[in-house]
Amino acid sequence: MILKDEVNIPLNRDAVFQALNDPEILKASIPGCEELLQHSDTELEATVVVKFGPVKASFKSDVVIDPTAGPESFSLSGSGDAGVAGFAKGGAEVNLTEQEDGTLLSYEVNIDIGGKLAQVGGRLIEGTSKRLAKKFFVNFEEAVLSRHT
Amino acid sequence: MSVEAETIEQRTAALKGLGTSRKRVEDSRFTQGKGNYVDDLKMPNMLFGDFVRSQHAHAYVKSIDTSAALALPGVIAVLTAKDLEPLSLHWMPTLAGDKQMVLADGKVLFQGQEVAFVVAEDRYIAADAIDLVKVEYEELPALVDPFKAELPDAPILREDIADNLEGAHGPRRHPNHIFTWEQGDKDATESILASAPVVAEEMVYYHRTHPCPLETCGAVASMDKVNGKLTLWGTFQAPHVVRTVASLLSGIAEHNIRVVSPDIGGGFGNKVGVYPGYVCAIVASIVTGQPVKWVEDRMENLTSTAFARDYHMQGKIAATAEGKILGLWCHTTADHGAFDACADPTKYPAGFMNICTGSYDIPTAYLAVDGIYTNKAPGGVAYRCSFRVTEAAYFIERMIEVLAIKLNMDAAELRSINFIRKEQFPYQSALGWEYDSGDYHSAWNKALEAVNYKALRAEQAKQVEAFKAGETRKLMGIGLCHFTEIVGAGPVKNCDILGMGMFDSCEIRIHPTGSAIARLGTISQGQGHATTFAQILASEIGISADDITIEEGDTDTAPYGLGTYGSRSTPVAGAATAMAGRKIRAKAQMIAAYLLEVHDNDVEWEVDRFVVKGAPERFKTMKEVAFASYTQAIPGVEPGLEAVSYYDPPNMTYPFGAYICVMDIDVDTGVSDIRQFFALDDCGTRINPMIIEGQVHGGLTEALAIALGQEIAYDELGNVKTGSLMDFFIPTSWETPNYTTDFTETPSPHHPIGAKGVGESPNVGGVPAFSNAINDAFKAFGLTHTHMPHDHWRIWKTANKLGLHA
Repeated sequence: MILKDEVNIPLNRDAVFQALNDPEILKASIPGCEELLQHSDTELEATVVVKFGPVKASFKSDVVIDPTAGPESFSLSGSGDAGVAGFAKGGAEVNLTEQEDGTLLSYEVNIDIGGKLAQVGGRLIEGTSKRLAKKFFVNFEEAVLSRHT
Repeated sequence: MSVEAETIEQRTAALKGLGTSRKRVEDSRFTQGKGNYVDDLKMPNMLFGDFVRSQHAHAYVKSIDTSAALALPGVIAVLTAKDLEPLSLHWMPTLAGDKQMVLADGKVLFQGQEVAFVVAEDRYIAADAIDLVKVEYEELPALVDPFKAELPDAPILREDIADNLEGAHGPRRHPNHIFTWEQGDKDATESILASAPVVAEEMVYYHRTHPCPLETCGAVASMDKVNGKLTLWGTFQAPHVVRTVASLLSGIAEHNIRVVSPDIGGGFGNKVGVYPGYVCAIVASIVTGQPVKWVEDRMENLTSTAFARDYHMQGKIAATAEGKILGLWCHTTADHGAFDACADPTKYPAGFMNICTGSYDIPTAYLAVDGIYTNKAPGGVAYRCSFRVTEAAYFIERMIEVLAIKLNMDAAELRSINFIRKEQFPYQSALGWEYDSGDYHSAWNKALEAVNYKALRAEQAKQVEAFKAGETRKLMGIGLCHFTEIVGAGPVKNCDILGMGMFDSCEIRIHPTGSAIARLGTISQGQGHATTFAQILASEIGISADDITIEEGDTDTAPYGLGTYGSRSTPVAGAATAMAGRKIRAKAQMIAAYLLEVHDNDVEWEVDRFVVKGAPERFKTMKEVAFASYTQAIPGVEPGLEAVSYYDPPNMTYPFGAYICVMDIDVDTGVSDIRQFFALDDCGTRINPMIIEGQVHGGLTEALAIALGQEIAYDELGNVKTGSLMDFFIPTSWETPNYTTDFTETPSPHHPIGAKGVGESPNVGGVPAFSNAINDAFKAFGLTHTHMPHDHWRIWKTANKLGLHA
């Protein structure tokens, strides 16, 4: 499943890029994020609770971020295990383009979901995932702006 | 007071025997919630087992940590393959000559596969403990497309047998290949295809679906360590075979195992096989000394116990320009999932797929079936059909339609000119079967007249014109089907399951007061055996069906039999019942003659009594004879009145039918609306017309489900996308149309009462009728074939592809 969208953030590109590398902002942005531990500059561990229709799953996720192509782009990959509820794995490519009034953040998220979640939530997964991705960037914008005001 | 003598007709009617629409005796308990199903069993100290199942379609199991689960109060044990290995029970044989993991042994091969078995004091604790078992997987690429199984980069699924070049059904050409099964004359068929004036070709895919019985699979195992006796209650369609398999696997002597199938809430083939849950429940009961219950939930049922179909059938059919069929060629790629666990007679790895010449006189034919392993659940059972017969019927009934298009001929007419004619029976088919009896033309013509076929075609043509003129957005489809089944497996000489010949049995005891009990080797799952077998017997021995108890399913009391599936109960156990009844009558005749003080040959049978020839006022009823058999010393005759028959049928039976479905399709929404469904069945002698009608209604509704939406779909990662009833289509009264049923009656010449079996006919014949209607609706716009299931979305896509939304 591939999810694509873009959002305009009224801040300069460096500020947006920095925020993407900031665990505090990430924690505030990830919907349902209960815990975010930073093991190194690029390795994070997150506990995220997601509800897919009738199934509520708590994912323990390992995330690796790759900021080396910054500040033009930023990528991350990871996998999450929700025990008997299922698992998820995937990655995201984020491109940051300077605009007159800020930075255009465009993202492409590639995610595979398996296990019981895929069985029960088959028809719910795409909708839920889209909603969550959108929510992430809405939260992100809010968190970044609050940091900068 | 003198009692007025009853007429023969009155006495016959009082028996409620053959041909009577007797109300089902089972229904008083079912309709009052008094049935006794496996999950109703409650025993002191009973434990509950539940599975940790694989999330992944294909992965190595690196480790299983059970410590947290075992620490949970109320958890008694957690079994893994390591625990079963010392007992050699971590794998078990399948019915198809393969073996299957009971619990994951180093790797998992399908999503939902059993990994560990948690045993706890109640099912809630077991469910909690499942969450606490930590399984570490190393994911492997999943193989979900059987056509990619033999590509160079295909993952090897069955590493346990990767090097075996020989399988249970002959040579294997690749580690993911199970068998090739060939029938008929390849060279002759191919030469006809090369020279025939007309050849039509099509890939016909019968998608993966699931029997999905209302009651899921389950078992309760109870090991009595004092007496050394194991009792196993379960949802078994073949309890006696389960006992033998349990004995062979566990080493417990067969007389120390009692298997009981209580009431069963639908089987449809799903409950024929042996599942890991049964084995684990038995082991857990032996280990703990307590009864252990295992009952799967709906998702477990849909994703792990036996699926049905998944046949990719490539077909070629050759004919003259006038439409006389010359030859049929079929190559099937059969997706069997991770283990070959098809429930077929041993010698038939693709079941009776070689009935695929259908109702037609096709002189030359060839069939090849390749079985393939994929990362999907095992199974391949006969979902309300006799071993792959519904695949065969769907294939030929689609090929006939495709040929009719190629010939530009009416499909009803094409069928008619190719039917096996009445005088050709017994008919030898090109693929090796001997059809017992049939009168296809009579049935077909009756059906065409009943629906006024010509008028329907005229109306359809008008509708197409109106559609083209922009006056309507609806199209009309006429789905034709004439199917021939092969049921009642079967002759012991060529049909066995795990070596057990497919005979069946009946044991009758007549009580002193003239009522009776009959026990059979079959087991009802809703078919109404307690009603219909009593009717067979009533007509044979002259005791009212109301005075006969039918009992099945307890291996300690019932005679050995191979169980109920493949429409075999009436053809085989029904025949055994009639034969045992005739043994009763033969002994009763001697007793009656003694009582009447005449020679044995001087009495004759009349409905419910023996009458002295030429002196009808002198008689003894079966009731009187029964009483005498227990109360009088009769010279040369043993006391009592009992008989047993083990019946080995000389041939299969070949029920047939003519179905016509008329549908209106909304081109813009893809919604199909069934206007009319006419079903004519010929199942030979009819035992209980009301039950037949009920079977036909139920089977047609299952056929509707399969044709119009019911499927087990996998994504490319091997996730089951239709693992719950939210996505797996079960029709309700909302989707179910009105059916019109009719019949002709062509008895089986070799069956004692001429009966052929009917329970599965409507599924076998219904699926092609529904599917043909959908295909037929778009025929005028260039459609030759579109795959099932025809849900609204796919119908819409078909219309869209044909440019009908422009």
